[in-house]
Amino acid sequence: MVPALEVRSLTKHYDDGTVALSDFNLSVPDGAFFGLLGPNGAGKTTLISAVCNLIRVTAGEVLVFGQPADTLEARRSVGLAEQDINLDRFLTVEETLVYHGGYFGMSRAESSQRAGEMIDVFDLRAKAKVRTPRLSGGMRRRLLLARALMHRPRLVILDEPTAGVDFELRQELWRYIRRLHEQGTTILLTTHYLEEAEALCEEIALIQGGRLIARDTSEGLRDRYGATSLEGVYVKAMAGAEPTGATR
Amino acid sequence: MTGTQGLVWLMRRETLRVYKLWTQTVLAPVIASILFMVVFGVSLGDRIREIDGYEYGVFIVPGLIAMAMVQAAYSNNSSSVFQARSDRYINDVLSAPMRPWQVNLGLNIGGIVRALLIGLALLVLAVPLTGVPVEQPLVLLVAVLLGLVLFGALGTIVGIYAETFDHHTFINNVLILPLVFVGGVFYSVDMLDSPWQELSHVNPLFYLVNAVRYGFLGTSDVSVALSLGVTAALAVPTYLWSQYLFSTGKKLKA
Repeated sequence: MVPALEVRSLTKHYDDGTVALSDFNLSVPDGAFFGLLGPNGAGKTTLISAVCNLIRVTAGEVLVFGQPADTLEARRSVGLAEQDINLDRFLTVEETLVYHGGYFGMSRAESSQRAGEMIDVFDLRAKAKVRTPRLSGGMRRRLLLARALMHRPRLVILDEPTAGVDFELRQELWRYIRRLHEQGTTILLTTHYLEEAEALCEEIALIQGGRLIARDTSEGLRDRYGATSLEGVYVKAMAGAEPTGATR
Repeated sequence: MTGTQGLVWLMRRETLRVYKLWTQTVLAPVIASILFMVVFGVSLGDRIREIDGYEYGVFIVPGLIAMAMVQAAYSNNSSSVFQARSDRYINDVLSAPMRPWQVNLGLNIGGIVRALLIGLALLVLAVPLTGVPVEQPLVLLVAVLLGLVLFGALGTIVGIYAETFDHHTFINNVLILPLVFVGGVFYSVDMLDSPWQELSHVNPLFYLVNAVRYGFLGTSDVSVALSLGVTAALAVPTYLWSQYLFSTGKKLKA
């Protein structure tokens, strides 16, 4: 089976000399719920940006369902909810979704219908005609997620989707993301909430300094690091402890 | 999967912005230009002799329309692209299945549509107000399109390079506006003494103003072929520069 995401020897040097990723390799199976954990500056967002065609990679290759990430086919397959709120200030909630659908090749009728569905799913109906700067933080976060899912991507990338979100909304988003995964969508999640990763992800990769340092199920990581929780694994791994088994 | 649909929606988005902000994007420049026509045409019209066989109030109309249009094309694209970069919603477009030429074209269209709306409004108002004729409509159309490609693409480039919002107003205030003013909007260069007359010929905006004036009045300070040629020689590389930035991702992608 073709993996949803295949990253081969990916290297990214920024213009200021920062090496964000160095000879990075990763394969995410189709249909997986995959977590990416690491401290700020570990290279998580750089990796996501490389997959979504938002940075110029220095070397290496990124394949999405077997297609190079910069091809139109690959881009059509990916939905991204970025860490920062990046909504078009001139558009209403409904327009944000409809225009996104259009950018991703949907017809007006298809895009309008899908936008209506997303507005209902994310409980944004009352604000459908409101411009994005007038939304609350929680609503903006919901809209970001709705936008990422508008074009029915097969691979959904969620970069800190619950950052700054209250407990109730976080639970709600988790439920929706779980349901999406059950329907066969591949999810790549980065988060600083370790319990979130533990509860949701089938597999977790730990990255630090632009390198993959461990990858396994949550249980596998606990065994290999001799820890009782993912938090314990994280602390040990980031402190430089070697896992007792080989990285898968 | 060609990205055509995306291009159409991007064009819609850029024009939607113009329509939503129409009092700023269209009405304000139309009022400013009409005021120029009235104030300069009426107040100075009686004191300045005819130029190239036209009353002064008529002579200045083509240059004023050209000035309003190129400034609108530039300002629209520079601010739209800068805002999209600054708020990072340009990522929604850059990650979409569109080819670089489609993104470039889509983002350039907003300025062109805005400028055409302003030009049409000014034409509709200026004809009854001043009696300005349109002697060479085909030349006028080509001159306007070349001018809009040039300044629309320049706006897009500045929007990509700008680090602060002040950068795009800086280029407008210190480069475009002075060059248009000394490019013969308010006078014929034949009225100037040496070396100002010769210096006017190294001003690229002089050729655009004259090409537009030829389209309206059928007369200009230099040959229309030279005017269109110089404007095209500037428009094509400027648009290709903008295309290069989208093709390579330079300044758009880290």
